[in-house]
Amino acid sequence: MAGSLVLIDSETVSSGVPSVSLTGVDSTYDVYMVIVSNLQCDTDVEDVKCRVTEGGTANSTTNYDRASKLLRASTSFSDQYAADETSWDMGTNIGTATGESSNFVQYIFNANNSSEYTFMTKEVAELNSTPELVGQQGGGVFTSTSTVDGINFFMDSGNIDSGEFKLYGLKK
Amino acid sequence: MALKTLEQFTAEAQTEIDAKKTANGGDGMFAQVNNVRREFTDAEYDQAVTDLAASKLDKQDNSYKEARQNSYLNWREQLDQLYHDMAADKGDKTGDWFAAIKKIKDDNPKPS
Repeated sequence: MAGSLVLIDSETVSSGVPSVSLTGVDSTYDVYMVIVSNLQCDTDVEDVKCRVTEGGTANSTTNYDRASKLLRASTSFSDQYAADETSWDMGTNIGTATGESSNFVQYIFNANNSSEYTFMTKEVAELNSTPELVGQQGGGVFTSTSTVDGINFFMDSGNIDSGEFKLYGLKK
Repeated sequence: MALKTLEQFTAEAQTEIDAKKTANGGDGMFAQVNNVRREFTDAEYDQAVTDLAASKLDKQDNSYKEARQNSYLNWREQLDQLYHDMAADKGDKTGDWFAAIKKIKDDNPKPS
C-alpha cells in the first residue's frame, strides 16, 4: 500500500464549527478514502452526519440511503437503516466528556462519475455519551447520477469542537 | 404534552438559528472549507433551520425507541430469563421477563 494513498485535503478543526467540508474529488481517482480522527463536539448526544457536495455546495435532497450494523460494548448489536434521507449518519450519540469522540474511515466510490450513483462504506469506532464503545460497519448510496466533488460533515446540533479530517485518493 | 408538527419545530428552529447569526448579535455558525473558517451563507443558514427542525422532530418521534433499545438485555439473557420463568411456571405476565420488558416500555413511553 505504500505510496497508494494520495492526500488531497486535510482540515484540522480547533475552533467550533458546525460544518466541515473536504474538497478535491474529481476524475483523477475512482475511489476516495476519508479518515476522521478524534472528532469531538460541544453538545451531548448528537449525531455526526455527512452529505456529498456538488460545485462545493452540500446536496440536501432526499437521495441518501444507508444501512449499518451497530456493535455495542454493553449490549446486543442492532441494525440502523433508512432510505430517502437528506444525509448519511456517521457517528451516533456522541458525548462531550473527556475521551468521548468519534473516529471513522469512509470509502467513497463513483463520486465524480456522472453516470453512476455515489456509494460509500463506513467503519466507525466511538465512545458515545453513555459512555459506551460503539463500532459501526455499513454503507450508503447517494441515488443521484451527479458529479460529486467533495464531502461535507456536520453536527445534528451544536459544533464540531475538534478533529482531523483527511481526504485521500486511491491510486488506480 | 401534545406532539409538535414539523411546521412548529421549523418555527422554533428559525428563531434559534436567527439568534445565532452575527448580524443579529449572535456568535455565528461557521463552515470550515480549505482550512478557512467562514460564517454560513444565507443558503447554509436556511439549510441549518431545515436540519434542526428535522432533528427535533426525529427526537420527539423516535428517541423512545433508542432509550428502550439501550435498556433491553441482550437476546441471550432474555432467552435465559424466559427459560427460568417457564421452569418456575411463570411463563406469563408473572414472570421476570415480562416485568422487565414492561418496566422498560413504561419508563420510555411512545409519545402521543
